[in-house]
Amino acid sequence: MRDRLLTGLGAAAFALCSLWLVWSAGGHEAWAADRRPALHMPWKEAGLDQRQAAAHLLNRLAYGPRPGQVEEVVARGLDRWVEEQIAGSLPDPNLQARLRDMPALFLSEADMVRIYPNPNMILQQAQKEGVISKDEVAAAKEAKILQQLRGGAKNPNLVADSTGAPAPAAAPASVRSNGAAPASAAMESREGEALRAKILEFARRRGYRPQRELMAQLLAQKIVRAAEAQNQLAEVMTDFWFNHFNVSLTNDRTRPYLLSYERDAIRGHALGSMRELLEATARHPAMLQYLDNAQSTAAPNAPTLLGDQLDRMPARPPAGYYPRPGWWFPGRRGGFAPRPPAPQAPKREKPHGLNENYARELLELHTLGVDGGYTQQDVIEVARAFTGWTVLPAGPAREQVEKRLDRVRQFGGLGFRTDGDFLFRADMHDSAAKTILGQRLPAGRGMEDGEAVLDLLARHPSTARHLAGKLAVRFVSDKPPRALVDRLAGVYLQSGGDTRQVLRAIVQAPEFWSRDAVGAKIKSPFELAVSAVRVSGAHIEDPRPLLDWVSRMGQPLYAYQAPTGYPDRAEAWVNTGSLLNRMNFGLQFAAEKVRGVAIDLPSLCDGREPESREAALRTYAALLLPGRDLGATIKMLTPMVSAPNLAHHVDQAAVPQDGAPAAAGKVVGKPAAEKAIAVEPARFSAPAGPAGSAGPGGSGGAGDGGSMAGSMASMAGMAGTDAADHEPARPVGGMAELTAAPKPGMPTPLEQVVGVILGSPEFQRR
Amino acid sequence: MLTRRIFIKAGGMALVTLGAGPRFLHRAAQAAAGPGPNARRKVLVTIFQRGAMDGIMAVPPVDDATLKQLRPRLAMSAARSAAEAQQVADLGVGFGLHPGFASLLPLWKERRLAIVHAVGSPDPTRSHFDAQDYMETGTPGRKGTPSGWLNRAVGLLGHDASPFQAVSMTPAMPRSLYGDAPAVAVTNLAEFRVKLPGADQMAAAAGQGFEALYERASQGLLRSTGTETFHAIDMLSTTDIAHYQPANGASYPKSPLGDALRQIALLIKSDVGLEVAFAESGGWDTHVQQGTNNGTFFRRASDLADSIRAFWGDLGSRQDEVLLTTMTEFGRTARENGSGGTDHGHGSCLFVLGNAVDGGKVHGSFPGINPGALYEGRDLPVTTDFRAVFCELAGKHLGIRNDASLFPGWTGGRLPLLRV
Repeated sequence: MRDRLLTGLGAAAFALCSLWLVWSAGGHEAWAADRRPALHMPWKEAGLDQRQAAAHLLNRLAYGPRPGQVEEVVARGLDRWVEEQIAGSLPDPNLQARLRDMPALFLSEADMVRIYPNPNMILQQAQKEGVISKDEVAAAKEAKILQQLRGGAKNPNLVADSTGAPAPAAAPASVRSNGAAPASAAMESREGEALRAKILEFARRRGYRPQRELMAQLLAQKIVRAAEAQNQLAEVMTDFWFNHFNVSLTNDRTRPYLLSYERDAIRGHALGSMRELLEATARHPAMLQYLDNAQSTAAPNAPTLLGDQLDRMPARPPAGYYPRPGWWFPGRRGGFAPRPPAPQAPKREKPHGLNENYARELLELHTLGVDGGYTQQDVIEVARAFTGWTVLPAGPAREQVEKRLDRVRQFGGLGFRTDGDFLFRADMHDSAAKTILGQRLPAGRGMEDGEAVLDLLARHPSTARHLAGKLAVRFVSDKPPRALVDRLAGVYLQSGGDTRQVLRAIVQAPEFWSRDAVGAKIKSPFELAVSAVRVSGAHIEDPRPLLDWVSRMGQPLYAYQAPTGYPDRAEAWVNTGSLLNRMNFGLQFAAEKVRGVAIDLPSLCDGREPESREAALRTYAALLLPGRDLGATIKMLTPMVSAPNLAHHVDQAAVPQDGAPAAAGKVVGKPAAEKAIAVEPARFSAPAGPAGSAGPGGSGGAGDGGSMAGSMASMAGMAGTDAADHEPARPVGGMAELTAAPKPGMPTPLEQVVGVILGSPEFQRR
Repeated sequence: MLTRRIFIKAGGMALVTLGAGPRFLHRAAQAAAGPGPNARRKVLVTIFQRGAMDGIMAVPPVDDATLKQLRPRLAMSAARSAAEAQQVADLGVGFGLHPGFASLLPLWKERRLAIVHAVGSPDPTRSHFDAQDYMETGTPGRKGTPSGWLNRAVGLLGHDASPFQAVSMTPAMPRSLYGDAPAVAVTNLAEFRVKLPGADQMAAAAGQGFEALYERASQGLLRSTGTETFHAIDMLSTTDIAHYQPANGASYPKSPLGDALRQIALLIKSDVGLEVAFAESGGWDTHVQQGTNNGTFFRRASDLADSIRAFWGDLGSRQDEVLLTTMTEFGRTARENGSGGTDHGHGSCLFVLGNAVDGGKVHGSFPGINPGALYEGRDLPVTTDFRAVFCELAGKHLGIRNDASLFPGWTGGRLPLLRV
């Protein structure tokens, strides 16, 4: 009895202690495995079996199952697998080894910006060092040179950059064949060539590298991680938060910081505290540039923190020596001894005062939500609170700013602060009092203003609801039940905004397991491509053709221009054009026409040869769509494989191959897993197009002979127009027949069947 | 337009088994029965000139002394006679037209072509990215607007959609068409089919497999979109896209824009339900060696004008349905720079073409380029907000009444441009 009482007390104390830990540490250390309450995931109650439940988890908390993974998760225990995913700390030596092929991923942010500068920055530096003249800088600002310095189009996903300068080599065949805009006469001249050579040589000597290389490694790591990472949920959440706090590589000022943004601001907080994530994004140069906070300054008549600081100084240094408000922009508000701006100084956009873009999106998109109960006045006040949150400039301007900062430090800092490339400028910060959502921020403060706003927003009930809603949309369904969102919002608030606790609540919600939710989400193009790689056990050797497909299906990565991020709902992904591309992707992926991805379909069957083609169909459908009810799909696909003379007909259809590279033959056997990943050329050279991909432009489709008519007739049954054409399914041939290419380079019947499965409606869902 | 499959669907049992079925299908069935909503609708064709076109070079004030001072190398004289075809054509209204746009002159004379001058965005940004973003969302100064104005226009049309209701002839969906209304981005219509390189027959068979699977998909959106997709493929399959012959001897430039407009004409003539089309013209960021009657600007202008001219001729009897407008994110400095080019400025001009256009006129208010008139002492000011133009075009041509939904926050009314 006494023992039991003690145990009871101990348990109570432990519970209180955990609760306190959750409150005090924002849930940080509270989730050590031994203290966690056990998960209860009500999949049985929802009428699912264990395999279906595992498949659902893999479709939602991961980028789909890999071969055999459903069984692995079942064997490991569903609860344990989920806990491991939420902890996100499984060792992953294979992935780490692959990422080592992408050196840019390991650079510091400062090095990234220094080594991969914007092309204009290279020109400025070259001019500063006397390598080229001012006129030559102007002449070099011709699309072709800038593009060459960049290594290609600004957006590796897209053909043309924002100035409309086409990237000829990167253009798909359909565009290329029509000729790109002619290069300007200036650059066709000999002087143009000489200038180009001089600048490229300078860039090489200085160790600059084309920015496209950085972008290529950013894109490559994303797709490789998603396909291969053990900590799948960490990848899913990194993607989710990046999209939530979207920035875009279509923006010149943002581009150099993009990789660091994902790595340093998002990834580390993807399974953690919302408050920390919020601050990490608020301070990151990518966000500060993308939503213009870097250019937002106190209104001309507003007091600034620097002014306050100077007023407080007991003994002022002689006038003309110390900085005063406005010193950063000499002459604008009567600063000290304005140095005449150097004639070659880059033309910067002069700040026009307060810029509300970040403040507005912080409230509308990042935290409270559009109906979160704020006013336009709140937007203005928040913008005032964040004045001064800016970026240490890159390139030649940086030195000058650092000199000024050194001088400021002689006076005790004067409220200026730096942290990496983040810079808080006291001279830009509006130091008057503010009132935000009814809460007063006193006058005379600096960075604390913005931090107080983030505190306020992170724990606001509207933020809880907004984020709970978005997470429910990502993990449950496009229109999640209100009761679920309310519960998740409660968990968010109780846990101090801990993403992990909200995720635990999601997987324990009956709504997550309901019939309405399982398989109800349409995969995004990225999810579709990655899930195809995973489920087929494919190996990505060169991610570029795959990325090309993701773009074509409507999701160029890191390139959604609007701060909203990609919409996460079916209608955004499924329209006439994109759906056709999704079908074509499945078909071409299975036939290994998506180059750079090696698949070994026969090996998926684990050496067990199906007895018949029908058996093969059932086996592969089950492998590719684990946990799904496949009766209808198999029934419709059966005529396709049961055509008695399919292989024969295909063989006879001696199709003249127009796309020569497509006939290179299929990879048989295990792909070379150790092969280094192909990324971008590492040196300045004429822009190279993406590695050949057999996209829609890859083939003109020469006319086939008529001998396919027989098999076509047998397919007619599938179109549902004439059921009488159905031949009864009967075992014909076997694996060998299915896996033999009728002609070199032609898809095998198995590839065709798998292609139709991957392009089928079932595979579009998760 | 009747296709084989629509006949099958409309005449057979397919509609019944599909239950409610996609709205498009019903409409197609109605179209098969006679003139219905699939009948010809008005089409708005938009061309975004990326990089910021120099409006002062495109449509300069004629023989302006200030212009010659500001642009000693770039200013051109108006032609004194027809023989001086390589000079600026005098439009007779105080403005000239750069010779690169010569092929638009007949359309000007026929009063189908209007120019709006000193047009642009009220936002002061000189960043391509920001200015394009603002023009495409239609909300200057606000980056968070989730949709583009053309997409909102599609949404406000208020009737059923065809798969090709909104088409962008670009590799990626432009910001103008972001949003809830379905839109298609495609560069080559010939590739709008199920494809398996090197195995056309297999692709055709797989296509039938897909069609069957999608017709029976349990998920409603996949089912209806799948059906529409195969209809769309059918619609296009009746046209030999690769060998499309433009009508009336129209000759499109072999350029991305010429290609885009040729395919837009094809879509219009194929009656696939196109109502909003988007195309791009690149290379207008002329910082260097802009040139006069040859050079960068001339080549870009010729490509644009020749493409438009071919498009208009190709349309033939369909011209009445079509209204075309150009747009560009901002203009360029009134002064030429040290390298024979111009830098990022503010106001520019745009072209509007259509049979109902109040053409042969330069609309808007041109403040001149005297130093005192310039914006920030350097650029042509914006005296007409681009939203006043697009409200007019979408309003009168597409019948969109709700300007406040099309351009949230815009209260400036419309610039009269169309005779209706």
